[in-house]
Amino acid sequence: MKFNFSYTIDALPRLLEGALITIEIAAIGFILSLTIGTLITVFRTVIQSRLLNAILAVYISFIRGTPLLIQIFLVYYALPAIDFLPGPGELRIDMGPVTAGIVAITLNSVAFVTEILRGGLAAIHKGQYEAASALGLRNYPLWRKVILPQLFMKTIPPLVSEFTQVLKATPLLAMITVVELMRVSQQIFSANYHPVEVLLGAFVIYFLICFVVSRSSILLEQRFAVRRF
Amino acid sequence: MDLDFKIILDWWPLILDGFKLTLVIVFGAILLGIPLGGLLAFGRQSRFKIISISATAFIELFRNTPFMIQVFLLFYVLPFYGIRIPANIVGIIGLALFGSVYYAEIIRAGIDAIPRGQLESARSTGMSYWQSMTNIVLPQTMRIILPPIGNQTLSLVKESSILSTITVQELTMSALIVQGQTFRPFEVFIVITLLYWGVNELIATCLRIYERRLKRRSTLVLAGTSSNQRLS
Repeated sequence: MKFNFSYTIDALPRLLEGALITIEIAAIGFILSLTIGTLITVFRTVIQSRLLNAILAVYISFIRGTPLLIQIFLVYYALPAIDFLPGPGELRIDMGPVTAGIVAITLNSVAFVTEILRGGLAAIHKGQYEAASALGLRNYPLWRKVILPQLFMKTIPPLVSEFTQVLKATPLLAMITVVELMRVSQQIFSANYHPVEVLLGAFVIYFLICFVVSRSSILLEQRFAVRRF
Repeated sequence: MDLDFKIILDWWPLILDGFKLTLVIVFGAILLGIPLGGLLAFGRQSRFKIISISATAFIELFRNTPFMIQVFLLFYVLPFYGIRIPANIVGIIGLALFGSVYYAEIIRAGIDAIPRGQLESARSTGMSYWQSMTNIVLPQTMRIILPPIGNQTLSLVKESSILSTITVQELTMSALIVQGQTFRPFEVFIVITLLYWGVNELIATCLRIYERRLKRRSTLVLAGTSSNQRLS
C-alpha cells in the first residue's frame, strides 16, 4: 500500500466536526471541575475539618492512582448495575454515554484541580488575609475580591496544563461510544480501510489543539498579570 | 444491591494473567523509556541543529497528543510498511515512546537545575564533558528528578490500560472480557480498580521511603561542608 494523502483530505470535514465535539466536551468538563474544585477549596479552608480533608485525600489518591479509562467504565458500566434503593423499588444512576463521559472526566479533573488550587492557596501570603480583615472584608468579599483573583493568577500555568490533560483524555470516551474526534476517525477508517491517513489527520488536529492551548498559558498570564501603577 | 464477588474467584486466573501482563508491559516501557528519555534530553541540548530540532519536535509532538491516538497510529502504521509484530510488543514500544518524552523533559529540567558553575568547575579541573556530567552533574540531578520520575512511572501504569484498545490482553482487557462473560460490571471493575490503585500506592510508598533516605544521606554529607551554597 502507498500513503495516499487524498484520504486525509476527504476525511477532514468530518474530523473537524469531531474535533469540535472534543473541544466542547473538554470545555464543559473543565469548567465544571474548575467550579467544583474552587467551591471545595473555599469550603475546606473555611470549615477546616479534619474529616473532610481526610476524605478528600483518599478521593484524590484514588483518582490519581487509577486509570481514567477504568473510571469512565466505572461511571458508564458499573454504576448502573447497582440499585441504591433497598427493598423492592429501584433507583439506578443510568446515564447516556456523553453525560457519563462528562461526569467521569469532571470527577477525575476535580481531584487535580483541587490539588493545584491547594498548592496555590498555600503560596498566598498570610498578610493578605490579615490586611483584608483589617479592611473589614470577610467571607464572600474576602474570597471574591482578595484571595480567589490571586489564586487563579498564580495557578494559570498548572490549570492550563490540566486543561490540556482533559483534552488528551477525551479520546478515551470513544470507548463508551461518544462520537468525538477519535471515534469519528475510527468510523471513517473502518469504512475506507485507510487507518494511517485518517489517524494522521486526527493526530495533527489533536496536536494543533493541545499545542495552541498549552502555548496560551503565557498569553493568559500576561493578560491577567497584576498591573501596579 | 446484590453483589456477587464469587465470579471474581471463578475468573481469577484470567484477571491474574492480565495483571501480570500489565506489570511486564510497564516494566518494559520503563526500561526502554528512561534511556530514550535521556537520549532525547541530551539530543535537545545538542550543538548540532538537526539533532536538537528533531528531538524538540519529537518531544512536542508526543507531549501534545493523546496516548490513545499514538498507540493507534503505531498499531496501524507498522503493518502498513509490512512490519508485523505482536500487539503486546507494539504496546510496550508505544508506552515507552510516550513515557520517554516526559522522562526527557524531567531529565532536562533536572540538569538545568544544577548551577552551571558545577559543570564549569569540573571542566576546569581537567575532566572531559562526559566525565564531569557523569561524576558531578548527574549524581546531583538524581535527587531532583527522582520524585517526578516516580510520578511519571505511576502515570505509565495508568496509561497502560489504554493498550486494551489495541487488543493487548492486559488488566483492563481481561476486565472487559470477564464483564462480557458474566454481565457483572460492578464487581469486576471494582476489583480491577483496587488492583491498579494498590500497585500505584505501592510504587508511591517505595519512592517516598527511598526519597527520604536519599535526603537524609545528602543532608549528612552537606552538614560536613560549611559552605553556604547548599543545594535545594
